[in-house]
Amino acid sequence: MAITSTSPSFMSQLCFGTIEEDLLLPYPSMGEAEQETMRGVISSLESLLKPKEKDFREWDAKGELPPAFIEELKGMGLFSLVIPEAFGGMGLSATAYSRTLQEIAKYDASVAVTVGAHSSIGMRGLLLFGTDEQKQRWLPKLATGEMIAAFCLTEPGAGSDAASIKSTAVRDGNDWLLTGNKLWITNGGIADFFTVFAKTGGQADRGNITAFVVTKDLPGVSIGPHEDKMGIRASSTTTVHFDNVRVPAANVLGEVGKGFKVAMKILNSGRGGLGGGAVGGMKKIIALATKQAKERVQFGKPIADFGLIKQKLGHMVVDCYATESAVNVLNHFVDAGHQDYAVEAAITKVFGSEALWRTVDEGLQIAAGNGFMREFPYERTLRDARINRIYEGTNDILRLFIALTAMNEVGSQLKELGDSLKGLFDNPIKGFGVLSDYARRRASLVTTYVKRDKATFTKLHPALSKQQVVFEELTRDLATAVDRVLRKHGKNIIGKQFASRRLADIMIELFVLACTLSRVSTAVANKGAAQVTKELEIAEVLTGRVRRRVRRHMSMIDDNDDELIKSLADHALDAERYSWDNV
Amino acid sequence: MPLKILVTAKRVEDSESKIRANPAGTGIVLEGLKYKMNPFDEIGVEEALRLVAKHGGEVVVASIGSKDCHEQLRQALAMGATRAIWVNHAGPIDQLGVAGCLMKICEREKPNLAILGKQSIDDDQNQVGQYLAEWLGWSQATFASKEESLDSDAEKSKTPALKLTADGAWVTVVREVDGGLETLECKLPAVVTTDLRLNQPRFSKLPDIMKAKTKPLEELTPAALGVDVTPQLTVTSMKAPPARKAGIKVPDVAALVDKLKNEAKAI
Ligand SMILES: Cc1cc2nc3c(=O)[nH]c(=O)nc-3n(C[C@H](O)[C@H](O)[C@H](O)COP(=O)(O)OP(=O)(O)OC[C@H]3O[C@@H](n4cnc5c(N)ncnc54)[C@H](O)[C@@H]3O)c2cc1C
Repeated sequence: MAITSTSPSFMSQLCFGTIEEDLLLPYPSMGEAEQETMRGVISSLESLLKPKEKDFREWDAKGELPPAFIEELKGMGLFSLVIPEAFGGMGLSATAYSRTLQEIAKYDASVAVTVGAHSSIGMRGLLLFGTDEQKQRWLPKLATGEMIAAFCLTEPGAGSDAASIKSTAVRDGNDWLLTGNKLWITNGGIADFFTVFAKTGGQADRGNITAFVVTKDLPGVSIGPHEDKMGIRASSTTTVHFDNVRVPAANVLGEVGKGFKVAMKILNSGRGGLGGGAVGGMKKIIALATKQAKERVQFGKPIADFGLIKQKLGHMVVDCYATESAVNVLNHFVDAGHQDYAVEAAITKVFGSEALWRTVDEGLQIAAGNGFMREFPYERTLRDARINRIYEGTNDILRLFIALTAMNEVGSQLKELGDSLKGLFDNPIKGFGVLSDYARRRASLVTTYVKRDKATFTKLHPALSKQQVVFEELTRDLATAVDRVLRKHGKNIIGKQFASRRLADIMIELFVLACTLSRVSTAVANKGAAQVTKELEIAEVLTGRVRRRVRRHMSMIDDNDDELIKSLADHALDAERYSWDNV
Repeated sequence: MPLKILVTAKRVEDSESKIRANPAGTGIVLEGLKYKMNPFDEIGVEEALRLVAKHGGEVVVASIGSKDCHEQLRQALAMGATRAIWVNHAGPIDQLGVAGCLMKICEREKPNLAILGKQSIDDDQNQVGQYLAEWLGWSQATFASKEESLDSDAEKSKTPALKLTADGAWVTVVREVDGGLETLECKLPAVVTTDLRLNQPRFSKLPDIMKAKTKPLEELTPAALGVDVTPQLTVTSMKAPPARKAGIKVPDVAALVDKLKNEAKAI
């Protein structure tokens, strides 16, 4: 069964205990022609970027990419990646685009962010929501880089709570008059094309937001200075100001008043690019750290011989493989026309950005003193990696989003059931006749007498049978946990962040494991187990890791210190300092 | 007079991948290897593109190998070659077979110039260009180089290093020889093989990689060309060079001289 626009979300279904394996199996792969193209792209990027390692270090210190280099990026076609060929672009699939960003990120994250902010978010709204006329007007210029794009949502008072923006557009004849200040806008200093979000229902009407295309030539647009940042320093981050800018109505993207949805859709579909960048950073560090570990001799041996170094490297490899698997599955969802992938996209962003952080941190630890020196790329990569956990939705906010969105369907079915569920868990078989679909699914979780619907994988390769059993068990655990948490908190779950976070963490682990098992299974099926022994080892390690983590999260649903932790936080908040200084 | 130039794009192991002899000693371990276009061929493609940019004409690129070598042909097309010829042959082939196929292609295509790498970096044979010129009865210039340096303005402005005479009948080639440069004039048609300092090849722009996908790629076989490519050369064994032993430190010159004399017996 192929993926279609009406396919369900894998994670929403998993919350019921249902494994929609057809969404993951077989693991997607690029067609032969696309692979050949990508090899060409990769080798060209290598020719362009590899000789510039010293420049990247210098540009990082200076905090700017020189204009001549931006021109080189344009000449290379790097601003045309996702624009359809009909508009002068390369028309890359989500998979190929993400792979391209991965390649760039292997050399320098600032460059990847510059290219990525243009394609992933800056002009994504035009691609997704633009009319033919709007596309005709701007896409060809965006493809050549004559225009570079930026995405303007964040404001001084509106970060995570993006719906609280204050920028306002007021209708004036055929135009809108736009006023407001945007903060931390990637590519702000080099962009000519801004996707801007502003309120269009007056200050009181919170959700009424509209997306506009604002070009730099419109009077009243101004750009603030370059921000001095911790990482991705050479990428441009600035404020962008709109002072009574007259924006033609023809520049509205999507429907008036539906801008919040536009923003969320853009951010969703940009996550595969960020994931690709994370994989690139990890591959870079693994290559550096393995060489370093073999070259560095201490106690008469290369440090690569020591267990603690191997432990780090082994985990780095597993993290990278797992992230890459999730990123590829996500991109395949996009390419196949799946619509309901917001949770899986958020999971990929959270897991990828954290796996990148762990990997770079451990890689730097292997290089130790050298890793701390600016002469080597570890410290720059570490600084660069940090932003991924912050922007395009902080990982904290995304965890809440993952848990609440994935559980949403279970929650709505729970509500409908009302009383018919009473006593169900005492005797699951009783009263089957009145049970709704939810209850039947629920019942099948707690009893093994009933033949469950899609509670198991049927297409995973038998070489993974042990891992399959674990995944299925953990899936039942997830469904049980979701059920328990929802019953306990009802709609108050929104305020129960500790509980939501636990569920989100379980979901993150399970989605990434599912993607990884799919990949290894397909590899075994295609090449035979003997050819993929290392990948089977990865599957085994990851499954064990996920099992232990999920078990721990599960046990903490009821047995935790949440209230004490809150109490200590409240104490510190009250004192505004640490209270036990002993001098 | 517009030119027609034949260039080659051999698929070779990337020198940055780990090359190891297989345990049986019959060849190298192929698993995990990366491949690229032979760098000398890349230089040849670049030179040909510069020549046609200046004089007009077309660049035809040929490669012999399994379907994998499409990647190298497409690379040459993305760099700017007009069309590609793929001689589909998956098995082993030696320099005589390669030169034979190229000779037949030259007879069909009748280029003014065939620009080949002086050697390919996998086998380092340095023979195909010479065979080809000999069998075709064309003039030849091997190890073509550039008079100016690779940092020169001539290089920056992408001026071709090979110069055609005004009547278009001759090509002037600067050759790298021991201790200096030698300038040859060859009557066209000619075979030229490239050395490392002839030019700095361009890398393809990404949109050109997409465009290359639709450029013509013609499939031929050695049989269709009428060439018997049964190798006359077989590899009987292949092994890695012995690992170097760790060096030692000597306290002073006297000790060094002593060791060289009595242990190494080098002096
Ligand atoms: C280098 C850089 C580039 C950027 N590029 C762009 C860009 O191109 N376009 C753009 O529009 N924006 C951009 N941003 C802004 C970025 O998306 C925001 O920083 C991000 O959304 C978080 O907002 P904030 O920093 O205001 O944090 P806040 O929203 O103030 O959050 C602070 C902390 O509180 C937590 N928090 C907030 N609300 C809750 C809650 N309800 N429950 C629990 N925890 C909560 C957050 O997770 C975070 O840990 C960029 C930022 C940076 C640093």
